[in-house]
Amino acid sequence: MNGQPTRVTIASGDRIIAATDDFSFVRNEITFLFGESGIGKSMLCKAVYGLLDPTELDITVGSMSYRHYLDINEIEGISRLGFFVFQEPSSHLNPLMRISAQLREGTIDGTEDEREIFERLWENRDTRKVEEILDVYPKPYRPSGGEKQRILLAMAFKKIRRLAVHPRDVSALFIFDEPTGSLDNRYRDRFLAFLFEEYMLRQFTALVITHDYSIISEIYSKNNGLLDRIHFRELRHKGEGRVELVDFHADDYLTWLRSTSGKKNVTMAGEPVLRLSSRFTIFGRGHRICRDEEHAQETDLLIRAGEMVYVKAPSGTGKTTLAKIVMGLYKAETFSMTLVGSSISQATPRLFFEREVWGRRAGMVFQHADEALDLEATVTETFAGLPHGRTFSHAELIRFLGEIFEGNLDETFLSRQIKFLSGGQKQRLNLLRTIIMHPPLIILDEPLNGLDFDSARKIIAMLDQMRKQGSALLLISHNEEIFDALVEKECVYYLT
Amino acid sequence: MHLLRNKDSRWIIIWITAIIIAGLWDLANLNRPALIKVVAGFRNTLIIALLVVAFTLLFGWLLTLLFNYLGMRSNRTCYYIATFFLNLIRSIPQIVGILFAYVGVTLLIQNDIVTSRIVLFLIMSFCMSLFIVPEVADLMRERIEHFKRLDFYSAMRVCGIPERRIINFDILWKNSRLHILNKLIAVLGYAVFLQCSVDFIISVGLSTDVNETSLPATLGGLLATIDSKQDILAVGYTLTHPDYIGHLFFEHLQGMTVAFLIVFSLFCIYNIANGYAERHRL
Repeated sequence: MNGQPTRVTIASGDRIIAATDDFSFVRNEITFLFGESGIGKSMLCKAVYGLLDPTELDITVGSMSYRHYLDINEIEGISRLGFFVFQEPSSHLNPLMRISAQLREGTIDGTEDEREIFERLWENRDTRKVEEILDVYPKPYRPSGGEKQRILLAMAFKKIRRLAVHPRDVSALFIFDEPTGSLDNRYRDRFLAFLFEEYMLRQFTALVITHDYSIISEIYSKNNGLLDRIHFRELRHKGEGRVELVDFHADDYLTWLRSTSGKKNVTMAGEPVLRLSSRFTIFGRGHRICRDEEHAQETDLLIRAGEMVYVKAPSGTGKTTLAKIVMGLYKAETFSMTLVGSSISQATPRLFFEREVWGRRAGMVFQHADEALDLEATVTETFAGLPHGRTFSHAELIRFLGEIFEGNLDETFLSRQIKFLSGGQKQRLNLLRTIIMHPPLIILDEPLNGLDFDSARKIIAMLDQMRKQGSALLLISHNEEIFDALVEKECVYYLT
Repeated sequence: MHLLRNKDSRWIIIWITAIIIAGLWDLANLNRPALIKVVAGFRNTLIIALLVVAFTLLFGWLLTLLFNYLGMRSNRTCYYIATFFLNLIRSIPQIVGILFAYVGVTLLIQNDIVTSRIVLFLIMSFCMSLFIVPEVADLMRERIEHFKRLDFYSAMRVCGIPERRIINFDILWKNSRLHILNKLIAVLGYAVFLQCSVDFIISVGLSTDVNETSLPATLGGLLATIDSKQDILAVGYTLTHPDYIGHLFFEHLQGMTVAFLIVFSLFCIYNIANGYAERHRL
């Protein structure tokens, strides 16, 4: 972790889970680590932080066995002074302890700086709400994912504030694993600003694992004074579980973003594919679709053939719910829409969706590929059973997959089980399964989830191609920067 | 050596080896008529138990599909009626249910409606599987419900993949076959236990009006014969007269073998099921 190459190997039996010849980061600086999901970012970080179980996995760090590595003094310093913010906040929090007790436990006891930390991570008007949350035992649904994530960040900041300003605690390591995964951009930006501010004072070593490339723009626009202390790195596949850590050139992303933004296509206004009434009610709660961020101009959501429409809303508002209503997976109490010429309302039976909508008039790509795909099935089996009685030959599949899969695709790849693919490969398959049917309407719920930059670029190019071929695309994503660049302003809707 | 590393494979080998050793010992030391009875009893018990497993799997799968279909319909009356009957079967203790079913079997035999031994095996297995089937159906339904709660099911449905393929191929075959096989190993254990218990009860007390040769010889029935009972009593005698232990393995072999086959088979099946669950982290 001190800049010297650190070889890390994590294996289970004969299978290498993640192995790299160099997993080192510059001490006392901040590194943002990108890479597609499932590549082993978290696993390697946990190994270096000493969090993995040596009895379950075969791990070596440097030339040391993991048991030996766990015994060295440096590891003790890393965890005693540092903090590891886990990706899934629910698994970090103890459901049998009040949040306030967990927030004041062990090395982060004391309440003296809590209020200020909350105010930094929440908005001032929310702090009363925070105090209510502190009194509860964490449940799957309460506090919300974003609130839980901020509570973990608050713990990390409490620990950061325990660090001495002079002399510096050089061995402290702070790892933030997807710290902004459940946060809206405004809370993400608050977190980043707070992190950089604390860093300026204490200059600890921080490693931020993320898929959110728009962080780069935020840093370049607001914190470019810190750029010489910030590193962007990316973990890339080398095959057979082997990965390499390379520099990620922020300019590549920024240039691509600018070029995407400049290429916004004039909408090819085709026939309306979907018209959704501006008001709908589900689970006893009314929603509105608006043209503007202030929610003043209520309007029907209209998507024509060849259009890409982007629906924005803060997390938890109901974007995915809206998509599921359109697909007939949720029954709204009141709603109406016209889909490819057919009027549909809350009274439309599910059978209609089964026979006329699913895979025919519309398809939907779900957010989490790990849930949406049958992980036990093979790549070929993923494309079996699709409507229209269509079966795909191996040659057809290889040609189709070749459009967004790198490397030599062959029969071996087609017979590989999904569970052995990386997160990015799964997400691409998740998209392709819907795209291959070319339905008039494709709903994409967080289509860039878990993708690295190269894959995201390929997916976006493919979506643009689909649009040009006449598909209507409805995008739901919190990745506002990329989709704002990609979608024309008049095709952006706000859900409230 | 690779096979011995897994607990389930290890116990399959132990089970088969023990049966072979017991068979060889009996071949050398047990009188021929008794040996034929023991071999027939073990064979019949195993065949019926395996048939029970096959019927349970088939009925469990059909029931699962039926409940899935009825549960999807907007009118749920049929679903509630089917649930009532399944719960009714569930509420009857398995051993009592099978005893009553055997009453029907003996009636069929007495009235010469069933004369073929194969048909008799099928009917006995069918009756037993009726009272075990909720176990398998519940498992399959739970697996389907689990996947329906995830995006897994919806994501496939909105791609237009047919319900029958998702349920049968993706959920039951691809994602649940290990769970189902583990349950079927347990069902094999239930079947051996229930069959031995019911045959023992029938042979000891309930079948005074029925010619005992009319039902196929099974381990449970054999255990209830006077020879075996004396052999088992001899085990008790050995507890107070330890010097007698050597006689057990030469003079009381029929009862000893039958008891050993029942108890050791159940023990092995239990360990196989446990080992299988551990190996696959079920």
